[in-house]
Amino acid sequence: MPDVRDTYRLPADSDRPEPPNLDAQRRTRPRVTGRQVTTRRLIGALVLVVPLVWALGRALPVGHDIVNRGGARLIGDLLGQALSPRLDGDFLRLVLEATGTTLAFAAIGTAGALVIGLLGGLVLSDVAWTHRPPRTVRAVRVVLRGLLVATRSIHELVWALLLVSVLGLDPLVAVLAIALPFGAQTAQVFGDTFDGLPTSALHSLRNAGATTMPAVAFALLPPASPLMLSYAFYRFECAVRSTVLLGAVGVGGLGQELVVSLSSRNWDEVWTLIAAVIIVSALVDAWSGRLRADMAVASCSEWSAGAAPEPPGGVAPRRSRSRWARWSALAIIPGLVAAWLASGVSLSGLTSSRTRALTGGLVEDLLPPKLPAGGWSVVGDAVLDTLAMAVVAMAIAVLITVVIAPWAVTTRAQGGAPGSLPARIARRMAWALARIGLLVLRSVPPTVWAVIALLALFPGILPGALALGVYTGGVLGRLVAESWESVSPVPRNALLRSGVPGALATLAAVVPASAHQLLTYTLYRFEICVRETAVVGIVGAAGLGRLLSENLNLFRFPVVSTLLIASFAVSVSSELLSRRLRRAIRA
Amino acid sequence: MTASAPVVVQLEAAGRSFGGTPALVAVDLTIRTGERLAVLGPSGAGKSTLLALLNGGLQPSHGTVSLFGEATAGLPARTRRRLQRRVGTISQGLDLIEQVRVLHNVNAGRIAEWGTARSLAALAWPRTDERAGAALESVGLDWAIHERTERLSGGERQRVAIARLLVQRPELVLADEPVASLDPTRAAEVLTLLGRVSSDTGTLVVTLHQPQLARDHCTRAIGLRAGRLVFDTPIAELGADQLDQLYARG
Repeated sequence: MPDVRDTYRLPADSDRPEPPNLDAQRRTRPRVTGRQVTTRRLIGALVLVVPLVWALGRALPVGHDIVNRGGARLIGDLLGQALSPRLDGDFLRLVLEATGTTLAFAAIGTAGALVIGLLGGLVLSDVAWTHRPPRTVRAVRVVLRGLLVATRSIHELVWALLLVSVLGLDPLVAVLAIALPFGAQTAQVFGDTFDGLPTSALHSLRNAGATTMPAVAFALLPPASPLMLSYAFYRFECAVRSTVLLGAVGVGGLGQELVVSLSSRNWDEVWTLIAAVIIVSALVDAWSGRLRADMAVASCSEWSAGAAPEPPGGVAPRRSRSRWARWSALAIIPGLVAAWLASGVSLSGLTSSRTRALTGGLVEDLLPPKLPAGGWSVVGDAVLDTLAMAVVAMAIAVLITVVIAPWAVTTRAQGGAPGSLPARIARRMAWALARIGLLVLRSVPPTVWAVIALLALFPGILPGALALGVYTGGVLGRLVAESWESVSPVPRNALLRSGVPGALATLAAVVPASAHQLLTYTLYRFEICVRETAVVGIVGAAGLGRLLSENLNLFRFPVVSTLLIASFAVSVSSELLSRRLRRAIRA
Repeated sequence: MTASAPVVVQLEAAGRSFGGTPALVAVDLTIRTGERLAVLGPSGAGKSTLLALLNGGLQPSHGTVSLFGEATAGLPARTRRRLQRRVGTISQGLDLIEQVRVLHNVNAGRIAEWGTARSLAALAWPRTDERAGAALESVGLDWAIHERTERLSGGERQRVAIARLLVQRPELVLADEPVASLDPTRAAEVLTLLGRVSSDTGTLVVTLHQPQLARDHCTRAIGLRAGRLVFDTPIAELGADQLDQLYARG
């Protein structure tokens, strides 16, 4: 990162030629001492190791049976059916229909999220307002920011559970459960995107007398549109995965069929459905990945790190004219119409008197919050279980990443791998296997991993952590492999040129940069992982999610609201912690 | 410069083509210890190719290149690496590892010398030894030893790269447009430092775009145009007509 002091040097300084005086350049900024670096490393090691040891201790209590021997046989049955999935016409038709439903829910949910995101983003961004926004807007903003944080700190699945109790098993549940938390996230990203754009065009339109809305539409949206389009497809990719997940609450699509087949132990159907989930996920990934590559605006990893990438040098990103991007954009509207017709979503559910009555009832039921039987200690235990589960899950995910991700890095930037033809073919095979492996890990929803883990293990932290860890490993592995592609090969080549052997050059020049990225993404995923413990909790693992779904099933709404507040607190504090740590490792 | 000083690099009718396109054609060149050689020429003249040949990382497709008396073509990897350790290469400062402390980048200059075990130890627990400290001090960066490299300014990073050269103690320094992105003051500073690196026992080969910098800092200049050597002259005899011819269009 170039030093601003170099860029914004006072003219008087640079106009006067000076003889080289190195002492003059010893800046007044505080010096970093060796002791500080050592201390920081020790603290860093403690921050990583202590929670891990604690979490492992909590997840593996001494003297308890962990493995459920009866269940282990079921896993054997499951694996035994792997090569004979159910492929008869009736079932395939059902799978196809479920796939359509999943895609339709995801598409409409994403569209909703984008509408929320666009409006929210405009309100949140500073550039959309002349000078200083009016007081009303500023007040709305404070409220909106709070609402957005609260909205996205509740997991999609928890949203779905709450919405089911108001709307019943309406397709609208799936759409809203996607649109609300995703919209909140999107508003944040779009707001940052708008603020990151060059404002000169907007200013000149304003100075020419244009009013806010047309000026924004003319000057802000075109430069932002490639970013927004590629983000939309990235969100769609996530939405497909989330919709499968939402099947667990019974709103239809592939996820629901998967849960039904799993719980009735029709292993042959499970395999067909898993294959369908993986194929759909792979196609959507490839599509959206291709689009982002064409638009050259952002990699998935940049989006995921939570911030819109700054256009390099403050220049508006190149607007790609690729055929792929154009067709994708053209397909949006017909695609949405088809999705709307196919899914049978109707907004009438939102305004019906029954919904209104139930919503009113729910709000009344939720208030005032009450503690569950057993009081604070039950909530506290659940919070600790949740955190322990997330920590163990991250450890598993990092393990998976370190083993698989190095093979999944695409090295096309370096002009093809060197070496003999067989070596290159082997490398290529390893790459494909690693990519497919990661895809399978992240395409199978964590609920399914959890159900499988719960077949073999007794309910508790461990099966939940295992399920989340395997799933997160797939996500983290891909993010990290993508980010490793951007690790510069130049320092390593420089070392090679100065006579350093290859392996050593990799260790010295590539590993530190890679470790840095691994750490950043691990911290970032940890904050998501904490939220996702709700998912495995709902199928019976442990933690706040389990407590939440138990109490929802028993209609103990006052307890539910206490648990929601606790989840919110845990989620927000882990997000703050992760941000703080990410900032610390950048220092 | 004396004609009797030992020869560092010798090129005999050396040429290099990339996929049939010649980048460098039949260059004869002898560089002796203590020389500071400026390589001038328009973009695409083959300057970078020449430097890559001098480093031993790239083999000539015609003729021979000898580095410290050994022909670089067909050497076993181990021998080639041993030769390359004696050559220090610096580019526009882009070859630094951005995410690590300055000290780590400086120590990277000694990995070849240290060998595996010691390098790994230094990687896990960076060592401040006298050589690294002295190198950073002589480029005026002793205060930055524990800074993260990416937080330094462009000029400071350039000097970190020079400190890395200093600890490597190379006998031959190759600098590929080291001052292309720097203002005149900084450019002069970097070339002074590079001259200092090579002044003791070493030799400097630097590609430049500004003839004036060559006059100020070098002892000899060669001109490359379309892959051919067009002049090779002591710096005092570098004339305006030679330069006009070198940079002429068409």
